[in-house]
Order: sequence, then C-alpha cells, then structure tokens
Amino acid sequence: MLINPRNVQAVARKEFYHIVRDYRSLYMAFALPLLLILLFGYALSLDVDNVKVVIVDQDRTELSRDFAGRLDASAYFDLVTHLPDERAAVAWLDSGKATIALVIPPRWTENIRSNREAPLQVLIDASDPNIGTISRGYITSFVERYNSRLLVDFLGRQGFDNLRPALEGRIRVWFNEDLESRNFIVPGIIAVIIMIVGAMLTSLVIAREYENGTMETIRSLPINAVEFLTGKAIPYYLIAMTDVLVALAMGQLLFGVVMKGSFWLMILASSLYLSVALGLGLFISIATKSQLVANQIALLVSYLPALLLSDFVFPVENMPRMMQIVTWIVPATYYIDILNGLFLRDVGMGYLWPSYGVLLFMFLVMAAVAVVKMRREGL
Amino acid sequence: MNKEKVIIEVENVSCRFGPVTAVEDVTLAIEEGTIFGLVGSDGAGKSTLLRTMATMIPPSSGRVIMGGLDAVTQRRQVKRLIGYMPQRFGLYPDLTVDENLAFFMDIFGIPRAERAKRRERYLGFSNLLPFADRPAGKLSGGMKQKLGLACVLVHEPRILVLDEPTNGVDPVSREEFWEILLEMKRSGMTIVVSTAYLDEGEKCGRLALMHRARILADGSPDEIRSSFASLEDAMIHRIEETDGAHARDNVNS
Repeated sequence: MLINPRNVQAVARKEFYHIVRDYRSLYMAFALPLLLILLFGYALSLDVDNVKVVIVDQDRTELSRDFAGRLDASAYFDLVTHLPDERAAVAWLDSGKATIALVIPPRWTENIRSNREAPLQVLIDASDPNIGTISRGYITSFVERYNSRLLVDFLGRQGFDNLRPALEGRIRVWFNEDLESRNFIVPGIIAVIIMIVGAMLTSLVIAREYENGTMETIRSLPINAVEFLTGKAIPYYLIAMTDVLVALAMGQLLFGVVMKGSFWLMILASSLYLSVALGLGLFISIATKSQLVANQIALLVSYLPALLLSDFVFPVENMPRMMQIVTWIVPATYYIDILNGLFLRDVGMGYLWPSYGVLLFMFLVMAAVAVVKMRREGL
Repeated sequence: MNKEKVIIEVENVSCRFGPVTAVEDVTLAIEEGTIFGLVGSDGAGKSTLLRTMATMIPPSSGRVIMGGLDAVTQRRQVKRLIGYMPQRFGLYPDLTVDENLAFFMDIFGIPRAERAKRRERYLGFSNLLPFADRPAGKLSGGMKQKLGLACVLVHEPRILVLDEPTNGVDPVSREEFWEILLEMKRSGMTIVVSTAYLDEGEKCGRLALMHRARILADGSPDEIRSSFASLEDAMIHRIEETDGAHARDNVNS
C-alpha cells in the first residue's frame, strides 16, 4: 500500500479545522490536561508531614515538657495545643482538628525514674487509613527514639560513658530523596493526559464520519486506510505532545519536579506510548461507529486502566495476582516505568529498553489492527 | 454504436446480499459524452448498480470497466477518474463551503496555480460564491446538493456518477443543477445519473428503466416512449407487463 503524503496532509488539515470548530474537543485537548495537573499536583499529595498533635499533659514535669518540646521540634509533627483532659482531646480528634492525641498520665516521670512501666496513651484518627498508618509509624519511632535517649541518659548517670546504641540504621533515600509523591505523580498525570487526548478524543473522530455520512464520501475518494488514519492521528499527536511539554514545564515550575534523565528519551517514550493510544482510539472508533459508544469504551479501556492499573495511584505489588497480570497489557505500566526511570533515577536505554520494546510492539499491533479493520470497512 | 467511444462497460453484473438480489445480470455499454439516466421505482437496484460503477461495492459476479479500468482490481485509479455523489452526500457540516471544496482539491492534488480558478468556476457555477464562508451545515438542501456537485466536479473527472442528486430539492435548484450537468456534458464529460423525476429523464441522451434488479428497457427517451403519450405511461406499461408475467410465472409454478 503506497502512501501519498498529500492525502495524509489533506486529512490532517481537515481534522485540524474540526478540532478548532469544536470547543468541547478543544477543552478536552488543552484545558482538561491543565486542570488535571493542578488537581493531582495539589490535591493528590500522598505525603504526610506536620501531623497535628494535641497533648494532655497530666504529669506536668520537666521530663514531660521536654517530651512535648521535642515532639514539636520534629518536622513530622505539629504540636497544636495542650489540653486539660482526655475528653477535650477526643473532641479535637472528632472534629478533625488533630490526627494524634497524646495523653501523658499522672506520675509518668515518677514511674520512669523508679523503673516501673510508664505507659503513654496515643489516640490516632485513622479515618484515612493511609494517613493513620503513616502517623502511627511516625509516633512509634519517635517514642522509641525518646526511649533510647532516656536509657542512654540513665546509663550515663550510672557511670557508663561513651555509650552507643548497638545498632543504628543510617538510612539514606537514594531515589526521590525528599520522598515527595509529586515526583511520581507528574509522570502518572502525563500518562493519563496522553490517554485522554490520544485515545479518548480520537475514539470520536471516525465514528463522527460515520454519523455524518461522510465516511461514504471518504470511501469514494482515492485515499487508502493508512493515509486516512495517519492524517486523522497527526493533529492529536501534536496536541498530546504539546500537552506533555506543558505538563513537564508545569511540573517543574509549580512543583519543582525536575526530570533528571534525557529529554529525548522522554520524547521517544511519549511518542511510542501516544502512538499506542492513537491506534487504540482509532480502532475503537472504527469498530463502534458511534461517538457515544466509542467514548464509553475508550473511557473503560484507555483512561481508567492508565489511572488505576499502571502503578500510578495504586501500587501493582499490592494487587491480587490476577490484576497484576492484567497490568501487563496496560501500556501505561511500561510508560510510567520509563518515566520513573527518567525522572527519578536518571537511567538510560540500558535499563529501559525492555519497556521501550513492549511499547513499540504494542504500537505495531494496534496500528495493524486499526488499518486492517479500516480496510475491512471498505476503505 | 461506436465501440471506440464506449467509456463504461457493465458486463453481466449481479449483486447479491444474502438472499436478496439487488442487481441481476445487467449489461450496459455507455458512450463517452452522454448523460445516461437510470430510472425506476424505489428498491429497483439503481443505487446498487451505481455503487458498483463508483467502486463502492464489488459486484457478486460480472465486471465493471470504467474508462478501460477494472472497478474492482484498479479501484484507486478508477476513483481518480470518476466523481461519485452518493444519495446522501456527506459534507462536513462544521467546515465552510470553501473548506469542504479545499479538502477535495487537496485529495486530488489540484496544483496551487489552478486552485483559485477552479474554486471560482465550480462555486460560481453553483452560485455558492457569496456563501463561501458559510458552514456547510447551514446551507439549504438545494445548496448542499450543489456544493456536493462542486466538490465532485472540482477534479474534473471524466465520468460523473450521481445517485438521485435532486431528490427533495426545490424546482428552481433542480433546474440550476441540470444546467450544470448539461454544461458538463458539452465539455465532454460522461454522466450517469439516477432519478425519480421523469422530466429529468427527458434531458438524458439515453435512459434505462430498472425494475426488480433488471434493466427492462434501454434507449433514447424517444425510443422508450415509442407509441405512448409520455415517458411515464410507457414505463408504467413496461413495469405492469413484467409484473404480470412475473405473477403468471408464480401461478404456474
């Protein structure tokens, strides 16, 4: 099948007019991606810091004040206020103004000094399990650290100098040093945006030709399936790549997410993944011939998997085995793998080629399926 | 008939869709430079026959040769040679008259120097120049059909295939539409047109009456009319004659 660039250009130009005339697709193409970046970037922060703590200090000693002071000084906690009794603390938890309530019971210091058990009551609001679990981890390690400090102090007073704890983990976070979830949210959003523009928008374009009765016109013209589909895809390719660049720039300017890896490797990965999306969208459009049905199906097989089954929002390791296998056929899985490699780890083709390979394979399959389907429909 | 000048050859063409036979063993030879009219009742198979000529469907059996090219095996070349306007001609409603026309000029690769001239000529023909910036969706029915015609004419095809182009169009626009067709014929174009209007049949150089998938009669309007008062009477007579024979066959079997 020969390809005449003139035909491709003619279809692409016509498609550009359609997009410019239709404010809904313009909105989907440009405003929605910006909105997504802002929404996800600001609202979907998976980080927990400055956990709000209220303290009920019934001991009122130098030690209990020291405990509270150190807690407040930690970056993980924000000591909101001191409260007179447990009931008031529970009220703060109920109203959501605090996540943790600490109750230091009377004679706490006295119990410590005389080697008796000195329990500390910790109440955690785990209505958001994620924040609850993380807060528990924070407070547990804080208490443990305080404990060992007390122990060292005590032994020091007993004449044991130069004491060191037996084990001390020196933890250094190697990739994503600040443990910022934004650093992987930006790649995830880019993957979702590409699916929206590449598959959801294009799922409408051929169905629209059928609904308008213009497919019959196209079939009567000397143009083949490859030329037609390529021409249809080009404007959406350009829009989606613009969106990718805008997302990159916004990630950098608004959230300080700087890509460490090669820009061109990122463009190559985006092109491949976008091409898979375009093939998928066009195929859905040819197969359904109805904009409404096409849009529903595209939502189901392109947008939602990219969001939910790609390691973006939900970690794949935590999924049941069956779902993990499903994620293997989700293109976004491989794209996000590449982006995480480029954004966070600065690795190159040496590590990433298998994911590039899978995307290339998916593109070839999708393109072939769409072209064959279009030819079967008589173009 | 001068064999040299035959440009459309339909040889024993049949079209079957499952149990339905839309076209049965039709043979036609159409000379270059004629307006060939196809008349007949709804469901007679006119559209199907035209669609085989326009390469839109392959015949179940038989051959269609357009300008010496096979409509099945040389589809793409045939498409360059012809202009086909389906019954429901799809234009892009959100594109303007100019943009719709430009799309057709793009596809047929009309050179830059020619484009303005062609636009002037074919939009001028159809009195659409004042509406060049109007979206096609906002045109009246007659104007839409004329824009459709301008679009299929713009690459100046040798053969024009039109499927009931004036169906539902007001009499004035119909008149204008036929003016354009006659003008095209004078320039040497071959036109195959199906129609439900017998006054249009009179304007054709040659007419074929189609009924129940077959061609019942084929000749000049005068030949078809023969001894009858009008084309209409002649056709009704022919159809009733066939249906009568058909009914008798059914009774006998």
